Formats: sequence, structure tokens, C-alpha cells
Amino acid sequence: MLPLGKQLILFDGGMGSELERRGLEGIPEELNITHAGEIRAIHRAYAEAGADIITANSFGLNAVKYRGKYSIAELARAAVENARAAGKEVFFDVGPTGALLAPVGTLSFDEAYKAFAEIARLTSDMVGGYIVETFSDLYELKACVLALKEHSDKPVYATVTFDSTARTLTGSTPEIVAELLEGLGVDALGVNCSLGPQELLPIVERLLAATDLPVIVQPNCGLPKLREGRTCYDLTEDEFESWMRRFVGMGVAVVGGCCGTTPAYIRRLAPLRGRPVPARCIKKGTVVCSATQRLVIEDVRICGERLNPTGKKALKEALLAENYDYLVSEAIRQQDAGADLLDLNVGIPKIDEPAVMRRAVTAVQEYVDLPLQIDSSSPAAIEAGVRYYNGVPLVNSVNGEEEVMARVFPVVKKYGAVVLGLTMDKNGVPRTAEERFAIAKRIVERAEQYGIPRRRVMIDTLVLTASAEQPLVMETVKALSLVRTLGVKTALGVSNVSFGLPNRPLLNKTFLTMAMTCGLNMPILNPLDGEMTGAVKAFAVLADTDAGAEKYIGAYRDFTPAQLAAPAAGKPAASEAPTDLYGCVRRGVRQGVREAAERELAEKAPLDVVNDVLVRALEEVGALYEKGVLFLPQLIASAEAAKEAFAVVGEHMPKNAAGKGTVVVATVHGDVHDIGKNIVKVVAQSYGFEVVDLGKDVPKEKVVEAALRIRPLAVGLSALMTTTVASMEETIRALREAGCTAKIFVGGAVLTAEIAREIGADCYTANALGFVKALESL
Amino acid sequence: MNFSELKKSALSYLGFYGKPTEETLALMDGAVEEALALSHFRAEGKIFSSPLPFLCEEPYRSFLAGCSQYALVVMTLGSEAERRIRALFLSDPVRAVVLDACASALVEAQGDAWEERFGEERTFRFCPGYGGSDVKDVRYIFEALRPEKTLGVQLLESGLMVPQKSMAGVVGIGKKRARSCGACMLRETCRFLKEGTRCYRSGNN
Repeated sequence: MLPLGKQLILFDGGMGSELERRGLEGIPEELNITHAGEIRAIHRAYAEAGADIITANSFGLNAVKYRGKYSIAELARAAVENARAAGKEVFFDVGPTGALLAPVGTLSFDEAYKAFAEIARLTSDMVGGYIVETFSDLYELKACVLALKEHSDKPVYATVTFDSTARTLTGSTPEIVAELLEGLGVDALGVNCSLGPQELLPIVERLLAATDLPVIVQPNCGLPKLREGRTCYDLTEDEFESWMRRFVGMGVAVVGGCCGTTPAYIRRLAPLRGRPVPARCIKKGTVVCSATQRLVIEDVRICGERLNPTGKKALKEALLAENYDYLVSEAIRQQDAGADLLDLNVGIPKIDEPAVMRRAVTAVQEYVDLPLQIDSSSPAAIEAGVRYYNGVPLVNSVNGEEEVMARVFPVVKKYGAVVLGLTMDKNGVPRTAEERFAIAKRIVERAEQYGIPRRRVMIDTLVLTASAEQPLVMETVKALSLVRTLGVKTALGVSNVSFGLPNRPLLNKTFLTMAMTCGLNMPILNPLDGEMTGAVKAFAVLADTDAGAEKYIGAYRDFTPAQLAAPAAGKPAASEAPTDLYGCVRRGVRQGVREAAERELAEKAPLDVVNDVLVRALEEVGALYEKGVLFLPQLIASAEAAKEAFAVVGEHMPKNAAGKGTVVVATVHGDVHDIGKNIVKVVAQSYGFEVVDLGKDVPKEKVVEAALRIRPLAVGLSALMTTTVASMEETIRALREAGCTAKIFVGGAVLTAEIAREIGADCYTANALGFVKALESL
Repeated sequence: MNFSELKKSALSYLGFYGKPTEETLALMDGAVEEALALSHFRAEGKIFSSPLPFLCEEPYRSFLAGCSQYALVVMTLGSEAERRIRALFLSDPVRAVVLDACASALVEAQGDAWEERFGEERTFRFCPGYGGSDVKDVRYIFEALRPEKTLGVQLLESGLMVPQKSMAGVVGIGKKRARSCGACMLRETCRFLKEGTRCYRSGNN
């Protein structure tokens, strides 16, 4: 085989379209057994045309996609044997499962991984390598490449499809795909299918600029066109050849064809075989990414610090209860406040940290597309976070201790993550900047020995509190400048500096400014603190990185000094805004609820505030909703205002009086309409019930498991569609059979009291208020 | 894109009927625009002359009566809007339901506009689930169009499509036919009808 990346390698062309052209119908993979002769003829034609690598006819062969009468093993063997008959190097073709991964679809990362791992186990001894192709979801691509790399030592080439906006179907750009694949250690990467060569040109340019690795291009034979119900591709051989020559000239290292290309097209490329591939020199900075956002750590980037239970009681409780909604809402708030990436730490005593980290990562990435920093002192938790992260994360952290580096660097290397190194070792934090620099240097060099390039290392020179170690504050700042000479980016948890001193925000802001001046790239701070994020924006103007002060002006165009003193007026107009608690809830105005609740609590006992004010207001809202005077959004707005008020009241309640009991709610399997269920949740919480929300499309097993574990007062099931009432009935039956004693409530647009009885529910309620009333009567 | 029409549709999805007040309209501020910014509308369609087996059954048969051809269509707003809506349910549920309704209105409207390629003489888009048909018939449309790869729309075993803001249906060609309340199961109790309005947008579609 020709040396990859040095001399041009030629792949074969389309298989599916070739089968269609030759009139071979049925499941393509089964043709390996039923029509072995014809399949071998196609492979031979490509070999004779000059292809160096023959792709086995195995695109749809995985346990998720293939449902037929043969075993995966026998089809895989037949596919490889057919390809081998052409006498060339054989690569196994690995296509996607065809199912969408959660959260959009229902296939889990682990299920996808398992399907691809099976392929690798079955074929590793038979093939020369793998061509992973036509993937359009970064997460599935990650599952696939990991499965292949963990079960085979054969080369892995991976190609992805993009649409005309240069995004995959799930929104990843060529740069993001390249960063992920390069990190996972594939041998070559590129693009296939999707479009014709002309439309692929900008994507190929971007891929070549985004990676040092050899780039593969296997285009369709032009854009697909429908003619009389059949798909046609109409680029001529001349046109195809001329485009492919252009790609080769640009630096592409491996070419071939996808849909619509035939041996005749591949023959036209044969003269290019073995041609030297021009060397490329790609300079890339420190890059982290989510599935849809790529962040270059340069100038100053804000890392949100709030997803960390240290010193945060509410988050601690939420993590113990595995209530990821709270974690996610904190993530969303930080995103909305302008964070560039988010630190995620779930370290509290007595929890299964790797398991919680995995679920936390999965939950946060479902809602927030900022890159994450996986933060843990446990290498197992780090690996869990990094593995299930849909992107390239930052890992926080290693330090100068050899044992720590030996545990963490292999994980960082394997997943291609970026790592944050702390300038300390077993002797603690050194006093001088020079000593910290020495540790940084050790970390960077050791990382390189593990194959982690400098661009994937960042250094934190560690902040000590000014109250305890006043002379050392400047050492931290000085160390930043020194560390920058190593060619790495820097980070600091800035708010540590002010512990134990008054007016902490002033110290934090001043220190942040000092540190940025000395080269701090990534302050880890609270993005909800407008003074801190403001300092970053102001610094960008003064350091000439915000050209024309455009972003600063955008942020402060409407600034008036009064804003410092008084919060901006919200809807409705300030003059009409209610100021009493009843009015706030009745009108659904959240702003001022806290103050109004505090005023009520100054005069009344907490339970009286609940009964006399909140419940009354919610009842009025409910009655107006039933009359059709108020509508869904207004009902929810009131429920939200009430929820905030209940939180304030809860702080004043004696501990044992706060909770009325727990209910489990879920939208049943097969149904994703969860608006109604969400309203029930908010309203029930407002009335003081603890609500465990299992989400939507929930399998009955999960409902049963939660009901038995939590032993709630009631289980509330929701369904919107006639088709999912059956699923509701099955869930109820499963609950009864499992011995669940909780009352089963049902609700949803298609249900009536009569249907509820028929399917075995204890109670039907027409709306959220009815639900709460029925709960209270238990 | 007619914003005020979209707002009206979204409001009807939220259960407003009659004439919206200023307060209800204020709820919609910027939501249609946000839905549009989050929208990645993609559609796929294929014209057929002879009916697939499921279209020979009622209610499809009557629906397509008099049409010379028909098109199967699948369309989606993509997953970005959905992700934003889900996130809003955690941080701002009011905004979430409003945006949810706007996104639904938008995919309907963009779908209608896209279907103009089938000519003036066409029916509205009849989707499995309408008029007593089985939601699960969507699978036949998926088998014919395979939108998984081209649009990124997936059909779950339960018959649901993901992303959720997706539609699959059939458009009759060669005959005009507008939506009507005739076959609706809510006709007897419909608040919209009592107010002299409809829950869907008027006109051909």
C-alpha cells in the first residue's frame, strides 16, 4: 500500500448506486451471500480501474440497522471475502446506525458504541482498515471511532457528510469534525457523499485548513436529481476528473467516489495514484468544542464557575437527588450571561461521581451548546465526563505530581481533550513565580511525552487569598507572564483572591484586570456578576482586541448610570406593575416577587402566606383559565411567579412543614408532548409538593423503577395522543404488577375520566389545578 | 413571511381565540423572529402518479379523489429550535410555550410556501392523523422518501418524528382543496368556530 499522506491513494467508487445500476435489489448487505458473484464483479471492476483500496459492501451492517435473516458475523465475513477476491487492500465500510442518538432520538451512546464494537471484533483480523463514512451526527461518529479504536488496531479513516451550509445534520462544522476526529486519533479524515465536488469545494478547503491529518474526499457524482422516481447523478467523467485533480492539487491525500460514481470514473483518477501529496503546515491554537460551537482560547474567554457544588447548598442537594434540571438551568443562565465555556464539577462525598458526571454531562449538553470543562479530582469521573461529552472538552485538572499526570494524561490523550495543569505538586503551591513556572514546564513537557501537544495544554498559576498570603498575589500574576513563554494559554480561578475581605467584588475585579494585563486567557468566574464580565469587555477595548470597540458598544449602547442603582423595569409597564404578592402571582409577574413575599412574611406566618395569598391567587388564575379569560402562557407565568414565591416562603418554613410529599411525573413512552406534564410539575411544586420529573417518552421500566425507589404519594402519567394511551395503559399495568402502591393519576388532551377508568388509573384530572387538588385529598 | 399571520396561528395554538388583546400580543414580542432565526427549514418531496397502497384506503382515497397526481412530502424546522425550546422550559417556561407555538406555526407556513412548487391547483397538506387516519401511516411516507439521510428526520417506532417540528403528508395535485372543519372531531365544541374563526390559517392552505 502507498504511504498515507505522502502519496495519493485511490479508493473505489459508489456501491449502492452501482447495485441499482446493475439491477440488484434487496438489502445490499445480504447480496454478499445471495449474489456473491455480482458483488465480486463490482469489486473487481473497481480494482481493474485502479483503486488501491476496495471497500467491502457492508455500509448498513450493524446490529441497530440490519434486521434480517442472516447473522452479522456471516454477512461481515461474506462482505470481506467478496472484497478480497479483487486482490487489493480491503477496508470494511462502516456506516451509521440510521437511528438518531438521544436526546434528539432514542438510541443511547452506549447502544451505538456496542453495535460498532461488534463490527470491530468480528472483522479486525480480516481487514486492512476501516472506512467510517456518511456520518452526519458527531456523537454517533464519536461512538463509532471509539468502538473501532478500542477493539482493533487497524487504521481508521473517517468521512462525514455536510449539507450546502457546510454543517452536518446535527450542526457540526468541518472544523469541529476535524478537531474531534484528530483528537480521537483517526488516521485520515474527510468528507463523502452529501454533495457533488463543486459544492464540496469550500468544505474541502476548510478541512484542509483545519487538520494536519491526511484528508479524504469521496464526492457524489454531482447533486442527486430525481427523474421518474429514480435518483440520478449527472456529472460527466471529464468534469469529475477535473474536479478531483483540483482537490489533489489543494493537498487532498485520498480520493474516491460516492453515489453515482462507477468504475469508469475511478479509472479516470488512476493516473493520479502515487502522486506526491503536498505538505501542509497548519497552525492551530488551543481549541475546545461542543457539537455545534468551536471556541479558540485566545485573548480572554470566560469560563463559568457555577456548576460546582462547593459552597452551594442548593446545587449539592440537587446533585444528591439527581435533579439535573437545576444544574441545567444554572448552565443556561451562565450561557445567557455571556460565558464562553462552562466548568462542570459534581464532586460531593458519598456519590458515585463517575456515574453522576456522565449523567450531568449528558443533561447539560442536551440544552447548552457551550463547550464544557470537565472538572474532577477523580480520573474515573474525568474519563466518564470526557467519554460521554459530545465534543472536545477541557479537562480540569492535573498538577505537577507524577502520579496524577500518569493517571490523567492517558485519558486526555485518548480522547483528544485539552488539559488544564495546576502549578502545584505534592509540596503544595510554591511561593515564587519562578517555582510555579518550573512546575508548568514539567507539566507541558510530560504532556508532550504522552503525545499531547502544547496547544492542548493550559496552565493555571493558582490564586491564593490576599487575606492570608498577601505578598503572593503578585507572584501569581508574574507567573502568568512566565508561563506564556512556554507557548500555552493560561487560566485562573480569580474570585479566590478576595476570601475573608470586605467588598469582595472590588478586589475580584481589580485582580482580574491585573491578571488580564499579564496574559490571563481564561478567567474562571461567575458570569452572572456583570461587573466581572464588564471588566472583560472593557479590557478587550483597552487591549485592542475588540476592534472598533464594537462588542463593548453593543453591550453598553443604552447604558445610563441609573442602571447601576435601579434594576431595569420589566413587563408590564412599570406604572402598572403589581407590587403585592397576590397581584404578582395573579398577573404572572416574576419581577418583585421575592420582595413582595418577604413583605408578606414580615407580617404573616409562612403557612398563612401560602393559604391566604398564594393558593388564593392561583385559584383565581385557575378559574379564569377555565373560563377562557386567561390562556396557557399566562397560567404558566402565574405558576412561575408562584414557584418563586414558594421558594422564598420555603426558606422561612420550619423544616418538617415544607414538603407535602413526593410525586413522580412522566410523559409516557412514545409521546414527546410534555407541555402539560411540565405545567403539572410547576404547579405541584408551587403547592409544596416535591416533584421527580422523569421527562418525556419514558419507558415503563423507568417509571416502575422510580416508583419503587422513591415510593411517592402518586405517579402522574401524561399522554397527548390517542396512539400513546395504549402505552399509558401498559405503564399502569407494569406499575400494578410491580406492586406499586402509589395512586396513579393520568391526564392529557385525549383522556377522559372514562378512558382513565378503562386503562386502570386511579384518578383523572383535567388540568394542573385538578391534579393538585386530587393530590391534597389523598 | 407574513409575521402577523404567523402570530395569529401561534396564538391559536396557544388556545387564544377571538381578537387578541394588546396584552396577549405582547407575549409574542420577538418570538416569531426568534423562531425564524432558529429555523433550518428543509423539505423533501416526490411526485407520484399511481397511488401507493395506503392511499387507496379511506380517508386518503376521498381526499385525493379528482387529483391527477400527488406528492408525498416531509419537512422539518431542524433541531435547533427544539433545543432552544427545551432549554427555555427550564429557564423561562412562558417564553418556551410561546416559542413552541411560533415554531409550529412557522413550519406550517414554510411548508405551505414550499409546496407552491406543486402549482396553484393543489390540495392542502393532509398528514396521517388527520380525519381519522392513522398517525402510524407516516411510515409509508418515510419508506418512499427516506428523509433520514437527506433531512435528518427520524421516525421513532412509536410513530413520532424527531425533530418534533417536522411534518409528513400528502398533497394532491390537479385540484384545489382547502382545509375545512368538516371532519374535525372537535367541531361540536370548538371555541374558534363559536367565535366565527378557525384554528388554522385561511386561504388555499
